[in-house]
Amino acid sequence: MVFIVTALMLEASPLIEYYNLKKDMNINNYQVYKNEDITLIISGVGKIKAAMAAVYILSNFKCKKEDILVNIGFCGANSLKYNLGELIIINKIKDIDSGKDYYPDVYFGKNIKKETLCCSSKPIFKGDYIDDNNILIDMESAGIMEAGQKFLYVHNTVILKIISDFLNPKNLDKEILKGYIKNNISLIDEIIYELKSLNDLLKNPFDKEEKIVNILCENLNFTEAMKKMLFKEVKKAKLKGLQPVNILNEFCNMEVKIKKEGKRVFEQIMEKLK
Amino acid sequence: MSRLWKNSNKYFFDSIYIEESALNYTITKNIMEKYNTSNFIIIKHYKDVFNRTNQNFIIQKQNQSLILAVKSKPFIYKGPDVCQNFGYSNFYYTSFLLNCIFDCEYCYLQGMYPSSNIVAFVNIEDFKSEIKDITSRETSFLAASYDTDLIAFHSIIPYMDYFYDFFKDYLNLLVEVRTKSANDIFYKTHKPMDNLIIAFTLSPNDVIKKYERYTPSLDARIKALKTALSQGFKVRICLDPIFIGEDVSFYYEPFYNYLFSQINPEDILDVGYGFFRMSKDFFKRIEKTRPDSLLFCEDYSLKDGILSYPDDLQKKVMENHFEILTKYIDRNKIFSL
Ligand code: SF4
Repeated sequence: MVFIVTALMLEASPLIEYYNLKKDMNINNYQVYKNEDITLIISGVGKIKAAMAAVYILSNFKCKKEDILVNIGFCGANSLKYNLGELIIINKIKDIDSGKDYYPDVYFGKNIKKETLCCSSKPIFKGDYIDDNNILIDMESAGIMEAGQKFLYVHNTVILKIISDFLNPKNLDKEILKGYIKNNISLIDEIIYELKSLNDLLKNPFDKEEKIVNILCENLNFTEAMKKMLFKEVKKAKLKGLQPVNILNEFCNMEVKIKKEGKRVFEQIMEKLK
Repeated sequence: MSRLWKNSNKYFFDSIYIEESALNYTITKNIMEKYNTSNFIIIKHYKDVFNRTNQNFIIQKQNQSLILAVKSKPFIYKGPDVCQNFGYSNFYYTSFLLNCIFDCEYCYLQGMYPSSNIVAFVNIEDFKSEIKDITSRETSFLAASYDTDLIAFHSIIPYMDYFYDFFKDYLNLLVEVRTKSANDIFYKTHKPMDNLIIAFTLSPNDVIKKYERYTPSLDARIKALKTALSQGFKVRICLDPIFIGEDVSFYYEPFYNYLFSQINPEDILDVGYGFFRMSKDFFKRIEKTRPDSLLFCEDYSLKDGILSYPDDLQKKVMENHFEILTKYIDRNKIFSL
């Protein structure tokens, strides 16, 4: 599953449209939109709200470590080196308030600029920030990082920012901002695709086998210890190029009444797997 | 890291993390110049990146980043019992690098570190002074490339160049550099020294293909070994780890015969011999990260916290292997654990 967090509806609406996401009417606390493999939540502005929303969807939708959390949103820049509407991949986040740094892994977006982002709990205007000449500022990323690192593999928390202004965020035209997201949507889609492919490497190679072992152990009243031994033998058989599923299927409809009988069947299966 | 840089044979790192305190060291400056299209990310301490929770070793191995850091004490460690000491009681090891560019399925580093990114320490003078301090009292054996491959890393950071003069002048120290690399630049550009042993880890080609991802073939390693010999370097052969199993055992006899048809055994300093072994804790961790590994699915016997083949089986296989090996090389030139 890909979880997307945006602060504003403005940032979310081009994504909702592109991925044809439907509103989840069962959720009242947040606006959540989803399809089969993407769930988007609108968090509100600020890192605490972002962290809360991220934790909410990650736990509500029972995320796995292989799932992906993407924060897509606007950031301000104090340097004309960036272009308005440009997409930047973030490889370091400095939380201005706590002094803590976060390092998202970046294994995608070969030709896209990678930069450091500062995360502040309050809006920063031109002139407020004189420390560094090339700086990007947002208000959510540190919260997303805190939430992501608790639930997911580190490479699966991703911060994508689009330059909305040069630290003069007043009176921005909503349609122009939406246009910035729309213009980058194919890049965002490519990044999501790359991330999904990366995680394919982590797919459980014994998914099918695990399911059958579970059914079998239930039917035949095998103990937890027997289940563990059986699964190990099944894995070994598969890695040696055998077809353990076929062997297990032979026993799937069998039922046992007494413990002794179960033990005998267990030994039979183990023998066949060797 | 993309394995190779465009069409050259240079490794490329997409991201290079640099500790603030490492910025002014020569190694850092050279790396920044050499990899000037990489993304440099300044960090406070290497552990802020290297020790993050929930890193995935397998994913990172395919996308290795480089982390340049300043190491703090200790710089050298007493050699553990699972390593061969070749008869030296003062046995130490040191790590200029954490992790390795190769990806051997059996490598214990997967169970030891939370990350497969490579940490390269840049403060080589600090290493030198501690090595000098600790080992000046008596003759010592120093494994300098036991849990990485310095020769393979030579084209990225030439540690062997930085330490060459130090090792050369410091005869009290016998240094072993273990490698699976086919890179022979070092042997061609440096004079041999009496207190330096290049230890080539060699395995049957099918074992290499099965377990030693990204490493050079047997023939490529033999070629490098021959270059080292012809340049006058002291060469050790490491037959370690040896695997036992119906799918691999039969590779060893033809391998030994082939090896000594290619290399004159008289030219070899000695041979290290050891079976696949690993601490139970590392094994348990790797079992989880490599669910598709047959090696980590097998049952082993446990002795003093180390998993390996049962003693009687080891004895039987070793006798059989030694019978072949001693046709070529004197028994007392073969060291085993
Ligand atoms: S060469 Fe050595 S250190 Fe490198 S991956 Fe292989 S076993 Fe590990």
